[in-house]
Amino acid sequence: MSDGRLRVAAVGYLNARPLYEGLDREPASSRIRLDCAVPSEVARRVAEDEADLALMPVAAAATIGDLRLVRGCAIGARGAVRSVVLVGERPIEELEEIAVDLSSRTSVVLARLLLRAHRKGSEPRLVGLGPREAVAHVGQGRGALVIGDPALQIEGRFPHVMDLGTAWNELTGLPFVFAAWCGRPGALSQDDERLLERAKQAGLERRHAIAAEHAERTGLAVASLRAYLDEAIHYELGDDERRGLERFYDDAARAGLLPAARVRFYDEDRKTTTAAAPVSLDALLSRAAEGQRLSAAEGLRLGAEASLFDLGLAADAVRKRRHPEGVVTYIVDRNVNYTNVCTTSCRFCAFYRPLGHPEAWVLTREQLGKKLQEVVDAGGVQILLQGGLHPELRIEWYEDLFRWMKSTYKLGLHALSPEEILHIGRLEGLSTRVVLERLRAAGLDSVPGGGAEILVDRVRRTIAKAKCTSDEWLGVMRVAHHMGLRSSATMMYGTVDTAADRVTHLVKLRDLQDETGGFTAFFCWDFQHERGTKIEPGENGTLLYLRQQALARLMLDNIQHVGASWVTQGPEVGQVALRFGADDFGSVMFEENVVSSAGTTFCMNADAMETRIRAAGFKATRRNVHYQWLTPPA
Amino acid sequence: MLEVIRSKVERAERLSADEGLFLFRHPDVVAVGLLANQVRERLHGDRAYFNRNMRVEVTNVCVASCLFCSFAKLEEGAPGAHTMKLEEAWAELEKRMDDPPSEVHIVNGLHPGLPLSYYEDLLKGFKRIKPDIHMKCFTAVEIHFFAQLYKMTHRQVLERLRAAGLDSLPGGGAEIFHPDVRSRISHDKATADEYLEVHRVAHSLGIRTNSTMLYGHIETFEHRVDHLLRLRALQDETKGMQAFIPLAFHPDGNGMRNLPAPTAIDALRTVAVSRLLLDNVQHIKAYWVSMTPEVAQIALRFGADDVDGTIIHETIYRAAGSRSPSGLTTAQLVRLIQEAGRIPVERDTLYNVVHEHPRAALPEAALKVRDRMAARHLEVLS
Repeated sequence: MSDGRLRVAAVGYLNARPLYEGLDREPASSRIRLDCAVPSEVARRVAEDEADLALMPVAAAATIGDLRLVRGCAIGARGAVRSVVLVGERPIEELEEIAVDLSSRTSVVLARLLLRAHRKGSEPRLVGLGPREAVAHVGQGRGALVIGDPALQIEGRFPHVMDLGTAWNELTGLPFVFAAWCGRPGALSQDDERLLERAKQAGLERRHAIAAEHAERTGLAVASLRAYLDEAIHYELGDDERRGLERFYDDAARAGLLPAARVRFYDEDRKTTTAAAPVSLDALLSRAAEGQRLSAAEGLRLGAEASLFDLGLAADAVRKRRHPEGVVTYIVDRNVNYTNVCTTSCRFCAFYRPLGHPEAWVLTREQLGKKLQEVVDAGGVQILLQGGLHPELRIEWYEDLFRWMKSTYKLGLHALSPEEILHIGRLEGLSTRVVLERLRAAGLDSVPGGGAEILVDRVRRTIAKAKCTSDEWLGVMRVAHHMGLRSSATMMYGTVDTAADRVTHLVKLRDLQDETGGFTAFFCWDFQHERGTKIEPGENGTLLYLRQQALARLMLDNIQHVGASWVTQGPEVGQVALRFGADDFGSVMFEENVVSSAGTTFCMNADAMETRIRAAGFKATRRNVHYQWLTPPA
Repeated sequence: MLEVIRSKVERAERLSADEGLFLFRHPDVVAVGLLANQVRERLHGDRAYFNRNMRVEVTNVCVASCLFCSFAKLEEGAPGAHTMKLEEAWAELEKRMDDPPSEVHIVNGLHPGLPLSYYEDLLKGFKRIKPDIHMKCFTAVEIHFFAQLYKMTHRQVLERLRAAGLDSLPGGGAEIFHPDVRSRISHDKATADEYLEVHRVAHSLGIRTNSTMLYGHIETFEHRVDHLLRLRALQDETKGMQAFIPLAFHPDGNGMRNLPAPTAIDALRTVAVSRLLLDNVQHIKAYWVSMTPEVAQIALRFGADDVDGTIIHETIYRAAGSRSPSGLTTAQLVRLIQEAGRIPVERDTLYNVVHEHPRAALPEAALKVRDRMAARHLEVLS
């Protein structure tokens, strides 16, 4: 991958272009390899060490944490920015609902801070929509946050506009910084910085040509675009801009919208003989225990440096604040695999068989009915139904099955992980949304979070080549959540993943949860490897499980429940895990095929679960998939 | 009270019975473990001990009728009752001589018909096969039984057996000392005072011993504290106890089969409070057979500094439904300890260091990332 050049990623938007003018040509290109992408992708590359430096939104930089900035270069505004605006038919202060593109985190956080300031704390409801849909959404009490070219296109269309650059400047007297060059400490030399500075000078000189090119492509007025680049966008990052950015970071952290972040320049690392004064581990732990948002860098540091007890106590404190009743829930449900036929051949799986294999099967209605009746008889409330990706089962098969199950047995249907939804979509040539809508109409109640493994594509390619990418997995969940379907979230670690990958995984879940709020709970477990799997175990073990679960509780500040995976860790360790941040004990186990075919076979009935919950110092109650209590805790 | 206890622990002051009771009852087991871990790390740093041992049970014929036991059969000739020929017992060691253990651990039923010479010959035979093998044999309950059966004093029995090769005594048979419990679960074997007296005599002869507590059945936390404090008092007197081993009661197939199975939280709590109360006992053992290897790993962070040994062929707990394997290899034990973030130290029975293994590369690849960042920092600074 690396050819020794600095790997630089930048957003391809108009206002960014003056900052990297000429970086893709000699002489700069012998030192720098430049790629353009959308903002979230640019940030991801730095987070996953696929880029050394990126022109990224400042909220993304705070989420990654412990990055350095290049002094002198930024995309900001000292007053009106024009391309980040709240619009409405009524005064912005009176809007009840605002449509936003939730993936534009920096602008969304800025909008929320300004709305809070203007409305004395009360906030309108935010709904996630794409930019075009957002504009169409405007009307009655509904406004929209519009960003980029669409914002320039609608100038003058709405009677009420709040330019976020202007509003920030009026509120704070400071400039705002939307994006800057950010990278890991030590990634950049002084010479590299000079290249960036020269690119900016060249870019500013070519601003009018850039505006003209963009006008030709988009049909926007050249004069308007020139003025936009000349006057609205402010490319400086000096002391004033730094104060503006620090103020934004402080306000956002106080509001719980971003991890606490500091601004530090590469040249400061070079000037001083000591590294930036680190936050003490104690301070970090107490922030974590208070439930404050942690950056990826902070999560990584806690995972590496905090003791088992520190992590456990901090996670337990968070658990206690979220669930002060001292109740641990569990569910009586049954994990049913409708087929063991699967086309993905994941190397960690000992369960699947190819189509036509003598040991391949699909459950008959009779077999399934017997299992479901047993669940009903045992007072169960739900079926967790998953495959195999069977290459010949059509969507009608699932629809018929779901309708039959729902009409015959009154059980919740928690079915088909994202991988299966995608598989059915490919097979039928249907979008994720249509697949989910049809399945929901047939009886689907919620979506299990399986198959997430580690949401870092380098890891996924190694352990499950044929499986969906991280973005595809998250994309299915996004669609499901937007439709009102809830899901769980999972993580399977302990193959080729590193601690950094595991933290990245947690941050990706947290980011999506910020957007949708659709995850009910998080479960993690380590790779189970006793027989039939084709890869060696990586980092696992009991203590790592407890640390990992505790760290997840600390990082996932927007997911309500964390479950202890006793099925993989055993009832004993599962019980101990209840003191390491979990508030749920998972499911009574009738059967489980996938993990048990790799060698883990634990069983526990409801009495034994309750005994263990109580012995750990909690009250026990049964729940449904929405974590509602079904029995009085006792 | 936790604050008072915390400051006493920091000053290494002795805890009272009330404080022990408070710790047993404290709802937050992690907070209790944290205190125990402080003591554990003060005494042993990051070291965690294990040895290479093997278990032999030469007879399960037993005159006692302990309610908690799924192993002993009352009479010779009953179905499943078995007494080994001496050659059978010795063969257990002979077949392991290419990678021999350093300790043979023998505990038995109380057999009414075997002569003392059987046990003397048993010991001598093992020493013939491997002269430096350490024979850790016969609980205090067995020694007391021998004294009654052969009409000898404890001292005479111990001296005879030592002459035949006995090196130290295991800690079994302590159960729960308090008579309210002991009279109900094991009324027909050595009393608490008799158990402690055997240990006292052994110590006076220079024979080291371990001690145990079987918890998690009908006893209360008061009984556990009472038990621990009796051991602490004896240790003040003799200093002869090497290690204390809390043993969880397993309910399958015995007279208390309707009681719940042990839980990990109780195991960790008991390890932790034992560490805190037994300030004069050097080692607290997380006996992996009793608590599963996984919970033993956690226990190494809750006050324990030892996980016992490779065992090979444990049968007593398995008879009572323990899911633990019947033995672990040295490599498995080393990994178990390394995964707990401790330094594996192979010891002999008397806690002399045989071999100190390396600490694991910490299980966190985060460290590698950090090193890489640090390296970049250094490049920048140089």
